[in-house]
Amino acid sequence: MMTGIVSYGVYIPKYRIKPSQIARAWGKEANGIEMSLGVFEKAVAAVDEDAVTLAVEASFKALQNGQIKPDSIGAIAVGSESHPYAVKPTSTTVAGILGLPEELLAIDLEFACKAGTSGIQLLSGFISTGKTKYVLAIGSDVAQSKPSDVLEYTAGSGAASFILGNKNTIANILDFTSYCSDTPDFWRRDTEKFPSHGGRFTGEPAYFTHVHKASILLLEKIKLKPADFDWAVFHMPNGKFPKKAAKKLGFSDAQIKPGFIVSQIGNPYSASSMIGLAAVLDIAKPGQKIFMCSYGSGAGSDAFVFETTPILKKFQRRNGASSLLRNKNSVQSQIQDKQMIDYSLVARNIINKYRI
Amino acid sequence: MKIKVAGIGLTKFGELWNKSLLDLALEASINAIKDSRIDKREIDAVFVGNMLIGKIAGQDHLGPVVASSLGLSAASFRVEGACASGGLAVHLAIQGILANTYKNVLVVGAEKMTDASSNQITWALMGASSSKERKAGLTFPALYALMTQAHMQKYGTTRKQLAEVSVKNHYHASLNKKAQYSCEVTTEKVLNSALISSPITLFDSSPITDGAGAVVLSAPTQSGSINNSSKGIFITGSAVASDTIDLAERDSLTELKATQMASKKALEQAGVETKDIKVCEVHDCFTIAEIMAMEDLGFCPKGMGGKFIEKGSSRLGSKCPVNTSGGLKACGHPVGATGVKQIVEITEQLRKTAGARQVKDANCGLTQNVGGTGATVVVHVLQT
Amino acid sequence: MSSPVTVWRHHKSIKNYLGKKGKIIVWTKVFVAPAGFEHEAPYPVVIAEFTDGKRIPLQLVEYEEKHLKPNQKIITVVRRLGKVKLDRVIEYGIKAKPV
Repeated sequence: MMTGIVSYGVYIPKYRIKPSQIARAWGKEANGIEMSLGVFEKAVAAVDEDAVTLAVEASFKALQNGQIKPDSIGAIAVGSESHPYAVKPTSTTVAGILGLPEELLAIDLEFACKAGTSGIQLLSGFISTGKTKYVLAIGSDVAQSKPSDVLEYTAGSGAASFILGNKNTIANILDFTSYCSDTPDFWRRDTEKFPSHGGRFTGEPAYFTHVHKASILLLEKIKLKPADFDWAVFHMPNGKFPKKAAKKLGFSDAQIKPGFIVSQIGNPYSASSMIGLAAVLDIAKPGQKIFMCSYGSGAGSDAFVFETTPILKKFQRRNGASSLLRNKNSVQSQIQDKQMIDYSLVARNIINKYRI
Repeated sequence: MKIKVAGIGLTKFGELWNKSLLDLALEASINAIKDSRIDKREIDAVFVGNMLIGKIAGQDHLGPVVASSLGLSAASFRVEGACASGGLAVHLAIQGILANTYKNVLVVGAEKMTDASSNQITWALMGASSSKERKAGLTFPALYALMTQAHMQKYGTTRKQLAEVSVKNHYHASLNKKAQYSCEVTTEKVLNSALISSPITLFDSSPITDGAGAVVLSAPTQSGSINNSSKGIFITGSAVASDTIDLAERDSLTELKATQMASKKALEQAGVETKDIKVCEVHDCFTIAEIMAMEDLGFCPKGMGGKFIEKGSSRLGSKCPVNTSGGLKACGHPVGATGVKQIVEITEQLRKTAGARQVKDANCGLTQNVGGTGATVVVHVLQT
Repeated sequence: MSSPVTVWRHHKSIKNYLGKKGKIIVWTKVFVAPAGFEHEAPYPVVIAEFTDGKRIPLQLVEYEEKHLKPNQKIITVVRRLGKVKLDRVIEYGIKAKPV
């Protein structure tokens, strides 16, 4: 019996802002900024949303889509870099609100943008050892960046929730691996409000090295080539990095297209590759292979190989996939369900959050 | 029942920076006791109506605070029922007299609201609502705005009709030197004033006020009180009813069942009907409240409250003027004091000492005092 | 203001209101907010009626002006309630959003 994904749910906040609007707010050059980043809009969370509320919304959808009762979940992991508390777990609050049982392993994970995918790797062990029937692995972020810093153009918000099990899976986990090293490309000290980053150091030595190494190691281990895959998803900090990484490995633009969500919603940090994976599962057919590689600064990459099952078709039909846009929960329909805002709302959120 | 209103006292209502809660309570009390001509040592109970002072100034235990400041060691109580605290204090005092436990009772309603910021007061007043309402970010203007919307949807009541309540009450207050705002306003001013919670504007809402009112109530057999008028003034009906604290759980959003029940009982006790009432003070915390009160008290059919006000049927000079004091809107609304002030105003009317506000031939009056959005209503009937 | 204990008790009831569908009965837009809600003003509050007949007051989020009308369909969502001092526990609760 294989361990795999039984159900999933995604939540993308409604508000959108364009990088050019942000640039203009700071008196910077707005022309051409969206083209150079490959990001045209990013999702902005409302003032009353945070990693907890986003995780709850995504997980509620996952439970509903899979027709799974909350009391059958035996473990929950919430990966985020915007946990609301420095000390007090997000996972217990999410579990309590969803009505999960109290006999539960609830853990919070932090590893920049790969905290969510690490949760998938960790909790899959609970399933493969038969410890529990279902587990819930979540990536959820209301991404933080220093106002007026270049990161502000892409730091977005979103959550994705995956329920793993070994019965009626819609996509099995064929294998996974993880590659990491002590690489200080992006950090936030514990008393600092905003993160800092190493500029161009976040590229080659950080993102590209770890994504490439993790991917190559997994492909060698499982003896598959990029051409053997139907789809691929990479962590998307902007619209350029994942395309370059994919190309270097030998994946095509067509393979990464459905999971390529960054141009429309920006980078929701821990949810980035997970929302990408969900977007692929929204349209994939049974018997297809999906390659996924996330990246977390600090640094590391989690690589996965999934294979969809015949049950995926039933799952899609049940959840209204006759039209992606008619299914209100699909990634595409949440991307399209948007309301443009201006920087004044972003400024209000910052002033409110940091009590300026 | 027949409870004598032996004495009355009222402070000015307004932003009274120099006066503390105790200053106000004492001023009203001393005046009421003097007016009653009863020796203060014959007062055997003190009931103090107040809602907010515990929350905003940390002062509870108001019974002895007031009683001992008057030099009394009588039984003393603080009564709280949100904005109906004053009316409830009167009602409970009456019960003490009816039970023959007390012969002469001082009831004082007092509130000191300007010591706190308006944000704090808005928050503190929400103590009169439910936890669900507080978590939804509601305020009292917002709760009454929901009722206003429901009334407008169901009966077509207009914002202009609502504004007429404010216009009329300001006109009445212009004749009352104790009122907070003794200035008239136009309909346009009300309609164009700032939105507090749509559709309720600043001029639809009663203000934040400091003030106190007091009455000395006696069993009718008590001698020693020679009033200015040749007759005594008596409370002949006193009733209280409750409803759900949550507005969302009410049977109807466009009427106060508690007003209907309390008024029915009070009128029965007094042996009169609505048509016998010559003057009344109702709880216009927001303009919609007066419109609903006219319907709930039986002055006009349901849904016709707006038209009733618009026609001038409750203005001085009409068959039964409403809120001759200026109401809560223009006289002011020191929350715990209002219920007692209403008794004071009707007593003045029945004594024929209301000056420019005097209603001719006023021999029977009614007061309606509401707590929260109508979870408590106290109705009193007074007669000569 | 909420203490950790009252927040703890309140959170236990949230699961009963997840994803519930209903409609607006009446609404108002609050311009002058109480302490703890100033950062969200102006915001609408509605009385929502659910398919089981129950009515509760809820703040409305993600709305456009056209949604502020009776019988507008809504669904419940989980959000932060109000603004709390940095040394206090965050309270989550139910709000409504138009569908």
